[in-house]
Amino acid sequence: MSTFTTECYQNEYLPLGGSEVNAIVTVTSDGAAGETIQPEAAEIVIVDTSGSMGAPRRKLEAAREATSVAIDCIRDGAAFGVIAGTEVARAVYPTDGTLVPASARTRAEAKKALRRLTAQGGTAIGSWLTLAGTLFATMPGRSCHAILLTDGENQHESDEHLDGVLAELEGQFQCDCRGVGTDWRVSELRRISSALLGSVDIIAKPEDMAEDFRALMQTAMGKATGDVALRLWTPQGASVAFVRQVAPVIVDLTGRAVQVNPQTADYPTATWGSESRDYHVCINVPPGAVGDEMLAGRVSLVEGDETRAQALVKAMWTDDQQLSTRINREVAHYTGQAELAECIQEGLEARKEGDLATATFKLGRAVKLASESGNDGTMKLLQAVVDVDDAATGTIRLRQDVATVDEMSLDTRSTITVRIGSGAT
Amino acid sequence: MSTEDVDVSTGDGLSCSSCGAPLHAEDRFCERCGARIDKPPTPDAAATRIELDLAIAAAVSDQGLVHHRNEDSFHLEVTGDRNVAVVVCDGISSASAGNVAARNAATAAGTVLGKAVADPAKDPSEAIADAIQAAVDAVIQVEWTTRVKRVDPSCTLVSAVCRGGDITVGWVGDSRAYWFDRVEARQLTVDDSFAEEGIAKGLLTPEQAAKSPFLHSITHWVGPDAPERPPRTVSLRPERPGRLVLCTDGLWNYAPSAGELGRLIDALPHGAAPAAVARALADTANERGGHDNITVAVVNIDP
Repeated sequence: MSTFTTECYQNEYLPLGGSEVNAIVTVTSDGAAGETIQPEAAEIVIVDTSGSMGAPRRKLEAAREATSVAIDCIRDGAAFGVIAGTEVARAVYPTDGTLVPASARTRAEAKKALRRLTAQGGTAIGSWLTLAGTLFATMPGRSCHAILLTDGENQHESDEHLDGVLAELEGQFQCDCRGVGTDWRVSELRRISSALLGSVDIIAKPEDMAEDFRALMQTAMGKATGDVALRLWTPQGASVAFVRQVAPVIVDLTGRAVQVNPQTADYPTATWGSESRDYHVCINVPPGAVGDEMLAGRVSLVEGDETRAQALVKAMWTDDQQLSTRINREVAHYTGQAELAECIQEGLEARKEGDLATATFKLGRAVKLASESGNDGTMKLLQAVVDVDDAATGTIRLRQDVATVDEMSLDTRSTITVRIGSGAT
Repeated sequence: MSTEDVDVSTGDGLSCSSCGAPLHAEDRFCERCGARIDKPPTPDAAATRIELDLAIAAAVSDQGLVHHRNEDSFHLEVTGDRNVAVVVCDGISSASAGNVAARNAATAAGTVLGKAVADPAKDPSEAIADAIQAAVDAVIQVEWTTRVKRVDPSCTLVSAVCRGGDITVGWVGDSRAYWFDRVEARQLTVDDSFAEEGIAKGLLTPEQAAKSPFLHSITHWVGPDAPERPPRTVSLRPERPGRLVLCTDGLWNYAPSAGELGRLIDALPHGAAPAAVARALADTANERGGHDNITVAVVNIDP
């Protein structure tokens, strides 16, 4: 069983009449230090086998190779399966509507089945996810995780259908999404990955796929906990403005609240390995009088019914402006990182629509924020899209000759944040 | 955990000063409104002992050295010419809100006895029966919810009506009454406990009974789930001046026999006032360990 620890960063002082309480809570899991029983895992790799995967031909070959690498990373005994997706979903291995325990034999059989894959047909991602959900459902009590690979847009399904599928599958399994090439839609995969609490990324070159799949599967195998929720208690009369994960990646959890009782809600965080994540909680409380102290929130990590760690978010009203106007460093930093992500997404959107004034303003702001916060990774991606004249003021020029892959990389990775003083990602 | 799921007893009957929600002893913030809870009073001598000195009668209730709160309570009234009504209760610590139960029971029973003692037409045994019924009614009212499996709020009760030279004692549970004068030291009550019942039925020797902690479990108490039974009473008309002592087990555990308790009193200066006697006995219990709350009421009787 992993040990969780928390740290809370905030300026608890509020001015008279102030009601907004912000705090950054850092949650660290030791990943059980390897000694305890890991939750029984179930893994599915979903490979896009639509016609476009055959052009160039090495795309499907790379996908086959990457899936084999991923299968090799699955530990003995963990259940697994492979799905091939076109306008319909098909179980490639096993084919009997279940998942099989990983062993030398089943891994070899799966790889053999992969060799028979051909690229032909359309793209209906919702149906792929539905089949994954059905297969996972045959493995109750497992920690379920999928890798979804696609190279195109969800052409054979309506957005509404996909939304309906995601609503149904939320909480049933975790799904990391990967787009290969540049013909897929970032917003679409982001929608899937955020609903299913996974990551999203671009694989620009097919030959990078295997390494990425290896890393994804190794991370999945390193998860030492089952489902963990972030539980937030707030006082009567308070309201939660937002709860978002802000590091390593921004994920807005506000809409994912599951009410436990009128004053308490759970936000899903899925599984944890040995890792550390930061959360930004913003709570509006009824203002108090000078000198009043209030517990504005209690953040706990709960696994099942067990509270594994907790942090207190406080509010204290003062007439000392020196105290109340101070913005906590961590809160300021992550507020900036969230704005950075927003500016990139809005800037790219504006650029696509031909609104170059807005695009210049937003991406300029993004450059300034990335530079100030030392988010070198994002800065580098920005520089592929804009020419930076002065990072400190955010003076930029939009580049004319932007490669689609650079634009998509920037969009996909816009939510990757840095911690204070940590420099490059 | 929801606010409904709070054991009000461990909050010492405390409630949030901002919103009135029940508080839990370890709470630093109110679970309903989040308000900071003022620091609980730090235990000091003044806060851990309550004394009432009414000259011819006095009572001391001491938290003892181990428990974090006092679950004993007493009620003492002197009316007219040497009429005394006294009640001593011991909240049952395995129950929820034992302290509130004891306080409510002592107040309710004491109020009934206070009226009765001033009314010469009222039969003392009847008054005690009424008082104990009032105590049961009061304890049933105690508000509590529980999150761990604990029994309903309940307490023991020992009471006395002293009118002229007549004393009537009534009790439920194992809080005791003693009579001490210059020739005798006598326990007036018989504990409602498995030990005493065992001795009474000839199943146990007093020595065996004294050794078994289980046998200290009481068989009757004041509370909603108490077995039905008319209260036990005993009356006496002393021939010589002496002292009536009512106490909880926090004292008698350290001086189990009437003789031993009598010797403690005899060691005090001749003619020591009731308050001095009560204080000295409570101090002795603390000196010997103070493992429980200690309540002692002393009434001077001069027939």
